[in-house]
Amino acid sequence: MAKKEVVILGVGVIKFGRVTGRGLLDMAREAGLKALKDAGVDFRDIQIGFCAHCNQPMGTGLDCFAELGMTGIPVTNVEVACASESRGVLLAAEMIAAGAYDMALVIGLEKMPRGMVPSIGDIKDLPYRFLTGIMPMPGEYAMQAREHMHLYGTKVEHFAKAAEKAHRNGSLNPNATYQEVYSLEQIMNSRMIADPITMLMCSANADGATATVVCSTKKAKQYTTKPMLLVGWAAGTPMYVKGESISLAEGPTKYLAKKVHEMSGLGPEDVDVAQVHDAFSPGEIFIVEDLGFCPKGEGGTFVWEGNTEIEGKTPVNTDGGLVSCGHPIGATGGRMIAELCWQLKGTAEPRQVPGKPKVALLHNQGLGGTNVMMFKM
Amino acid sequence: MSEVKKRLPIKEGLFKPPGNGDEGYLVGSRCKACGVYFHPKRVVCANCYGEDLEEVALSRRGKITTYTIARTSYPMTPVTAPFITAQVELPEKIRVLSLMTGVDLDKVKIGMEVELCFWKTGEDEKGNEVVAYAFRPIPT
Repeated sequence: MAKKEVVILGVGVIKFGRVTGRGLLDMAREAGLKALKDAGVDFRDIQIGFCAHCNQPMGTGLDCFAELGMTGIPVTNVEVACASESRGVLLAAEMIAAGAYDMALVIGLEKMPRGMVPSIGDIKDLPYRFLTGIMPMPGEYAMQAREHMHLYGTKVEHFAKAAEKAHRNGSLNPNATYQEVYSLEQIMNSRMIADPITMLMCSANADGATATVVCSTKKAKQYTTKPMLLVGWAAGTPMYVKGESISLAEGPTKYLAKKVHEMSGLGPEDVDVAQVHDAFSPGEIFIVEDLGFCPKGEGGTFVWEGNTEIEGKTPVNTDGGLVSCGHPIGATGGRMIAELCWQLKGTAEPRQVPGKPKVALLHNQGLGGTNVMMFKM
Repeated sequence: MSEVKKRLPIKEGLFKPPGNGDEGYLVGSRCKACGVYFHPKRVVCANCYGEDLEEVALSRRGKITTYTIARTSYPMTPVTAPFITAQVELPEKIRVLSLMTGVDLDKVKIGMEVELCFWKTGEDEKGNEVVAYAFRPIPT
């Protein structure tokens, strides 16, 4: 794969919120226009579009793009559960790296109901765990968390610490659904959802939209002298390994991280700031291990000791992550990319990572679909 | 039990409910080429990609590898919070996600030895009993 051929030219994020009542197309237009303006381009420069969403009507992407203009470009809807939008960006990147296009726009959006994520489709096709109801959404993370506690001595306080930091960072993010600071005690004493995960460790359903302009390095020179380069990426789904259970695996994060490190020539020690998928805050602890920021089993103490704080060794989820921003499923990947872009450009005040970060890592996953990306300024 | 018309699984193909003197079991498949077991059953072997798999009754006993105590439940589902969901490893090296019954919330432990059982989730429109599987501690 061609290295250093693709850049993120512009990003746009709207304010996320609970059941906002906003129209889907209204949200898409705002995010799209923000990204185009950030990139300094006109919609007529966009050659291909991708629209990420999971629970919206058929053809949503076509309608969203028509809000920005009708130039006849191909538009494709992308669905990889919570990893939909980052996958859209990777599809665009792969096409640009292959020389098929120079500039793409990716829009991700979702309107989410209250409560736990609903299922649609023929009831006969629903998995057993949904038919019986034995697996509420935090269940997989909760079981992984229990196993992590058993194997490595990780404590509930460690998970709560990840949530406390997420909410504190989110309080500095005007786009976050929740901008409240909570103490460890408040987090641990909030309503238990699936032991050991409490309500304040969960990402809430939210409405939101984000957009990303992806561009070839060559074309980007017309617009900027300092774009954020996409220097490595990998996408994947769970792999069968004889003798290993895949039922609790969210995806092949370790394997994808290795591929990204090979492609970019940058390892975990080079990363100045990261975004990881914390649909539930124990996720931050599992993923910092899988991405190689700390050894397996030490994620709890790594987070507890402050290494993932904005001022820490490897700042993680500086914008509050899913836990504080809320989770409009199709829009989360773009929100993650935007934060890394602002961090590398040095415009993330007041949550700017000190010392001019230059390398950023993204990890976005959903129901096993996983995307990892390395960015460089 | 005798007045029950029929006992139907909540989802086809995953398990055989008890009946006619049979105690019921989880349905799995075993690849005849490489010997690997699966649950749910598969048509294509995920290990060697062979297509010659046989349907088998899986072991009724296993061990809890992890669990959670759910304090919230989805509407319109047959479980009511609080309940325990566990991952049970069977001797065939398969991990099964299951409801736990017959154990207090504060007594469940990783490593606990458990055995298969069944529970009624409701009735269909013809009055047949709809069942799902669970695991419970092995009585000592």
